Amino acid sequence: MHGGQAQSASSSTPDKPVEHIAAGSILAAKRRRHLHPFFYRIGPGTLSICSVLLIGLMAILYLSQLGQAVNDNQQIQNLHQRQVTLQRENQDLINTIAQEESPAYIIAHAKAMGLVPANPKEVQILVVKHLQMIPRDDQNLQP
Amino acid sequence: MSSEMRRARNRQMLIFLLVCAGMLILLGRLFYWQILESHSGYNLAELANEEHTQNQILNAPRGLIFDSLGRILATNVVRDDVYVEPIQFSIDHPDNTQSDLEAVINSLHQVLPNVSLQKLQQAFSSGLPTVRIAVRIDPQQSLQLRALQLPDVFLQPRTWRIYPAGELAAQILGYVTQNDSDNVGVYGIEGQYNSLLAGKPGSFTAETDLQGNPLVVGADNEQLPVSGANITLTIDSAVEYMVQSALENAVKQLQAESGSVVVINARTGAVVAMAGVGTFDPNNYGKYANQMGCLNSEQVYFNPVLYCAYEPGSTMKAVTMAAALDQGLITPNTSLDDQGCLSFSDGTPTVCNWEYIAYGRETMTQVLEHSANVGAAYVAHNILGPSRYYPYLARFGFGQATGIDGPETAGYYRKPGDPNWTESDLTRQAFGQSILATPLQMAMAYEAIANGGVMMRPYLVASINNNGHMVTTQPQVERRVISEKAAQTLTGMLEDSALYGFAQPAQVPGYTIAAKTGTATTQGISADQTEASLAGFIPATNPRFVILVKLDRPQKAIYGSTAAAPLWGIIAQQLMEYYSVPPDALK
Repeated sequence: MHGGQAQSASSSTPDKPVEHIAAGSILAAKRRRHLHPFFYRIGPGTLSICSVLLIGLMAILYLSQLGQAVNDNQQIQNLHQRQVTLQRENQDLINTIAQEESPAYIIAHAKAMGLVPANPKEVQILVVKHLQMIPRDDQNLQP
Repeated sequence: MSSEMRRARNRQMLIFLLVCAGMLILLGRLFYWQILESHSGYNLAELANEEHTQNQILNAPRGLIFDSLGRILATNVVRDDVYVEPIQFSIDHPDNTQSDLEAVINSLHQVLPNVSLQKLQQAFSSGLPTVRIAVRIDPQQSLQLRALQLPDVFLQPRTWRIYPAGELAAQILGYVTQNDSDNVGVYGIEGQYNSLLAGKPGSFTAETDLQGNPLVVGADNEQLPVSGANITLTIDSAVEYMVQSALENAVKQLQAESGSVVVINARTGAVVAMAGVGTFDPNNYGKYANQMGCLNSEQVYFNPVLYCAYEPGSTMKAVTMAAALDQGLITPNTSLDDQGCLSFSDGTPTVCNWEYIAYGRETMTQVLEHSANVGAAYVAHNILGPSRYYPYLARFGFGQATGIDGPETAGYYRKPGDPNWTESDLTRQAFGQSILATPLQMAMAYEAIANGGVMMRPYLVASINNNGHMVTTQPQVERRVISEKAAQTLTGMLEDSALYGFAQPAQVPGYTIAAKTGTATTQGISADQTEASLAGFIPATNPRFVILVKLDRPQKAIYGSTAAAPLWGIIAQQLMEYYSVPPDALK
C-alpha cells in the first residue's frame, strides 16, 4: 500500500498543479495513519526485527513444549514398561502361591519333613459327653 | 515504452509462464495421486499412516478359576517366545556375518541349552524374515536374554494358562488351547464358560515415534479390554486331592482299568469332589491326545462322572425299593420266598441271584442286605408293574441330563412303548441291568433319598464374579422324588444293608452309613470283568455327603463289596475328619 501510493505520486505528470500533488500526499499520509494506528512510528526495519524476535520466541516456546512432551512421553513409556513388568511378576507370584497352596505340594513337603499319613484304622474316637462343638472359622464355607 | 522496459516485461512474462507451467504440472501430479490413484489399490493414506501409527490388540486377561476356599485352580502367566531375524542379521552384518553369527548362536545356546546349535544355525540360514527358535522360556532365561541384548534377536511375550495343581480336578476344569492367535477353552469349565472367562479384547491406536513408542502428543484411541470373569467352584481342592489320590491308589492296587468318584453335598447338591482315573495334566494336554477313558469309549479329557454311563447293578435296588415304599406297596418287613431264582407266569425270563443262592423267606430290608436280584425283580414285576415303576425312574432322573454346569450324557433305558421293550427289561432294570446311568445320576438318586426325598439340582459353580458383578448359585430344588417318610424308611433299610450286608467294608468307626453295593457285568464279555460300585451317604442319621465310588474292571477284587466298599470307607472317614463332623454312632 505504501509503495503503491509512492509510485502513484512519483508517476504524476509534471504539468499538474502543485496544490494537487500536496493534497494527494497529505491524503496518503492520512491513510497510512488510519491503516497503521499503532505502528506509525515504527519503521520497517524495526518491524522486521520485532517480527523475527516474536517468531523466534514462539519457536522457542513451541520447541520447549515439544521437548517437555517428548520427555513426558518417555517417562510414560518407562512407567508403562514398569507396569507391565510388575503385572508379569505379580502373575508369577500368584502362580507360585497357588502351586505352594496346592495339596500335592503341601503333602510332598510334609512327607519330606518326615510326616506320615495317619492310618485310618488306628483312629480312636473318645466320647466326651455334653461337649459343645467349637465352631470352625470356615464353618460358613463348609458344605 | 523503451525497448529495455519491453525486454524486462517479456522476461517477467516468461518467468510468470514458467511458474504457471510448474504449478500446472504440480496440480496435475496432485490430481493423479489424490484423485486417479486414490482407488487404485495402493491405499496410500493407509500406507502412510502405517509408518507412524500403531494398532495394537489388547488381550483381555482370562478369568481365574478358584476352588470353594479361594485356592487358585487356573491362572495365567506371561512367558516369552524367542525370535531371530535372519535377513536383518545379514543386512546388519555384511562384512563379518560368519564370525558375528557364531557369537550370537553361542550366546543363544548358552542361555537356551535346549535349543541345539544346529537348530540355531538352520534358523539363521533359513532366509526368512523371522524364525521362532524357542517357546515359553523361563523367566530367568528371559532376563538373561534381555541383558545380553543380542542383535536381531527379540522376545515376544505371550500369555499362557496355568493349572498350578497339575492333574487335580483336570476333568472338571478342561483346558485352554494355546494357539498363536487365539486361546479357546475346551472341555470342562474352561469350555462351558469360555465366553465368560475369555473377556473382551480391547484395542489401542496411536501415533508412534521412531522406536515405535506411542506419542503423548497426537491422536490416539484406546478401548480398554474387559477382563474375563472369575469363577469359584464348589470343589474343595483338599477333598478333591484326597479323593483323587485314594482313587488312584485303589485303581493301582486292584489293577482296575479306570475309576471314578463323586462326592456331593447331601443338602444342597453342590459337588464337593469329582475325580476320575485316568486323567490328564491340563498344562501338557497335548501329550494325552491318544489316551482313552470310559473303558476306551471316550478321550481322557471327558469327565467320567458326567460322561461314562454304565449299568449301575445292585445300587439300583434302592431305587426300586423307593418306588414301592413311596406308593405304600411294601414295608421293610414285607417278605417273599427267595429260592434263588424267580420265574414269571407271563413268560418273562427267569431272574436269579448271584451264584443262585436261595435266601428263603426274606424281608425287603434283607433283600438289600443280600443284594438279592430275585427280591428286586419280585418288587418291580409282581408288586409295582411297569405303570408304577417307570414314573419313578423318570422322577429319579434316569435317562435325562441332571442339569449340572456343562455337557453330560443323559443315559438310557428302555421303557414301555419303546420298540424293543419287554417285561424282561423291567425285571432287569430293578437290579440295575438294561439301564445306563452316569455316576452323577446314581449319586443324585441317593442324594434324593438322603435329602428326605427331595432331589436338588447338582452344581459345580458356586459363584461368578464378572468384573464386580457377582452371581452366586443358590441351591435349587429339582423335584420331590419320594415322600419324606419313604426316604426315612429307605435310609433305615440302607443303614441295615450297610451294617449287615455286603457294604460292611465301607463302615466308618463312629458313624452310621446308608449304602448299597453294586457289581455289574457287561453282556458279551467275561463275568469277572465287572464294574464294582458303592453308593451311599454319611452320616445316615443326618446326611452330609453322598459318595459314589465306581471301579472299572478291577482284577484283584471284582465285587462292589470287596473293591469299591473299602475305598468308599476311606473317603468317607477322611471327609468326616476334614469337616469335623460329629460322630453319630457312639454308644
